[in-house]
Amino acid sequence: MQALPPPPPAIEAPLTLPAPDRSEATTGELRVAAALTDARVRVDSSFRGASIVLFGAVFNPTPEPADVVVVVRGPDAPVRLVKKTRNMGVWLNSRPVLFEGAPGFYMTASTRPLSEIAEFGQLRRLGVGVDHLRIDAPEESRTVTRYGVRDVVVSRLGDDYLDWRRAVIRLKEAAALYDTDPKGVEFVDRGLFRAEVKLPTVAPTGKYYAEVWLFQDGEPQSVSNLTLTVEKVGLERDIYEFAHRRPWLYGLVCVLLAALTGYGASRVFSRRN
Amino acid sequence: MDIYLPIAEVSVNWPTLVILGAVVGFVSGLFGIGGGFLMAPILVFLGIPPTVAVASQASHVVASSTSGVIRYAGQGAVDFRMGLVMAGGGAVGALAGVELFRYLRLLGQADLVVALSYLVFLGVIGGLMLNESLTEILRRRRGLPAPRKERRRPLWLYGLPLKMKFPKSGLYISALPPFGLGVFAGVLSAIMGVGGGFILVPAMLYVLRMRAGAVVGTSLFQIIITTAITTILQAGRNQTVDIVLSTILLLGGVVGAQIGARFAGRFRAEELRAALGLIVLLVGIQMGLELFVRPSDIFLIAPGVAD
Repeated sequence: MQALPPPPPAIEAPLTLPAPDRSEATTGELRVAAALTDARVRVDSSFRGASIVLFGAVFNPTPEPADVVVVVRGPDAPVRLVKKTRNMGVWLNSRPVLFEGAPGFYMTASTRPLSEIAEFGQLRRLGVGVDHLRIDAPEESRTVTRYGVRDVVVSRLGDDYLDWRRAVIRLKEAAALYDTDPKGVEFVDRGLFRAEVKLPTVAPTGKYYAEVWLFQDGEPQSVSNLTLTVEKVGLERDIYEFAHRRPWLYGLVCVLLAALTGYGASRVFSRRN
Repeated sequence: MDIYLPIAEVSVNWPTLVILGAVVGFVSGLFGIGGGFLMAPILVFLGIPPTVAVASQASHVVASSTSGVIRYAGQGAVDFRMGLVMAGGGAVGALAGVELFRYLRLLGQADLVVALSYLVFLGVIGGLMLNESLTEILRRRRGLPAPRKERRRPLWLYGLPLKMKFPKSGLYISALPPFGLGVFAGVLSAIMGVGGGFILVPAMLYVLRMRAGAVVGTSLFQIIITTAITTILQAGRNQTVDIVLSTILLLGGVVGAQIGARFAGRFRAEELRAALGLIVLLVGIQMGLELFVRPSDIFLIAPGVAD
């Protein structure tokens, strides 16, 4: 009678989960928690893209339904584009146009189409959705000279800004680097959901940031932030680093290897005669 | 069966690459050329970034040319002195070509220049070869005697300074024309990823009028040096050489080259030239065609400033 029951293990369990960013000790509040099955993607010789499962839970004490939106973005990099124009029957490239920074990877997965979840302005403010994705462009167009080449930096107030912007998104979507999946967040049980992050082979290496948003009545109620690292490992990493750190020696090794293979083959074949 | 290429950053089916290497190697052994002009377009077609394709397959050219030179040297058919003079020019051309290619790539005009060079050079050379060899085949069929060959070299070859003796080639001419040819081949090697054999061989035959037996061996020797320099420069300056890609291509390539060389003896020279001319012409037209076809998307990602 005097012995108290041991504390239920369920209380300890949340401690092992990644701590939600903005909602501590809010068990009574509406919030979302999420984790990745694998926070580290290794790129080796058998790499053919990766699929990582993001799973999470929604704590919703209110009677109103809530929507989950998963946003994953890869490392930013400048994007240069050329536009082909026809000149006397021949298709020529224009001068390159530069966006100062666009995510190397961007995907959203949600419970229903983003436009039904929140208002245009809200999505724009949060940068959620391919149409609202922040692609860095200054207010004034200018030219920069790098390595002796003059690039035109796109102005976000220019007439053709939208065309260029749409082109970046279309080309990245074609390479499976940008993706929108309006049914990508699946509820597997009450309050328990999963979404898949599909990385193509061409996905850039570096640090990826995942945001899991919880929307209710078009307002963001809670967010959980996660990180994911994509890195080259093993021989691939060694070769890549060798090629970039000691490029001249690397080139020499390539040539010697080629010459030796040629020499070896002619020796092997001449002996057979 | 897929393998991830660390520099190209794509994954490819490696047996396809081995077979591709073998086929190109076979062609190269059969005709005594590097075969680069065939390899680069196919690699691009397989989804490898053009800059990596051009730079990586250069080492395939090195390997197949090395085994070719060893074979020709055994027959005493390599004029090393001539080859070295040309290779000196090749080094200069490669240096200039790699810088030019880097600049064009950043300008977003590399595709245009590559396509135009393929169209012009391959189209012209292929057309000439096909025409010349078909005429000869037709003449042989009709049983006509061979016309007297124009044996005189252009006079300007003799007017230039820096004369050198090239006993193996049977020449006593200025070192400048071979050097200039080398420069030209070096630039092509950097821009098109080719050894330049398809241009050097006719130029050595018809302009310099070298002894025919020494032409192929010497051009291969020059190609080894020029392409080796190009590979090192591309690796050092642009970091676009993928050692995994080039090794896979090599494996098929060296075997194919040996088999091709063995087959070469079974055909008449002009039949081989007609076939090669046809291949060269087709590749040139195919590469040039993209300039005239409406692209599926008028926007295109240009290579970044960071890489």
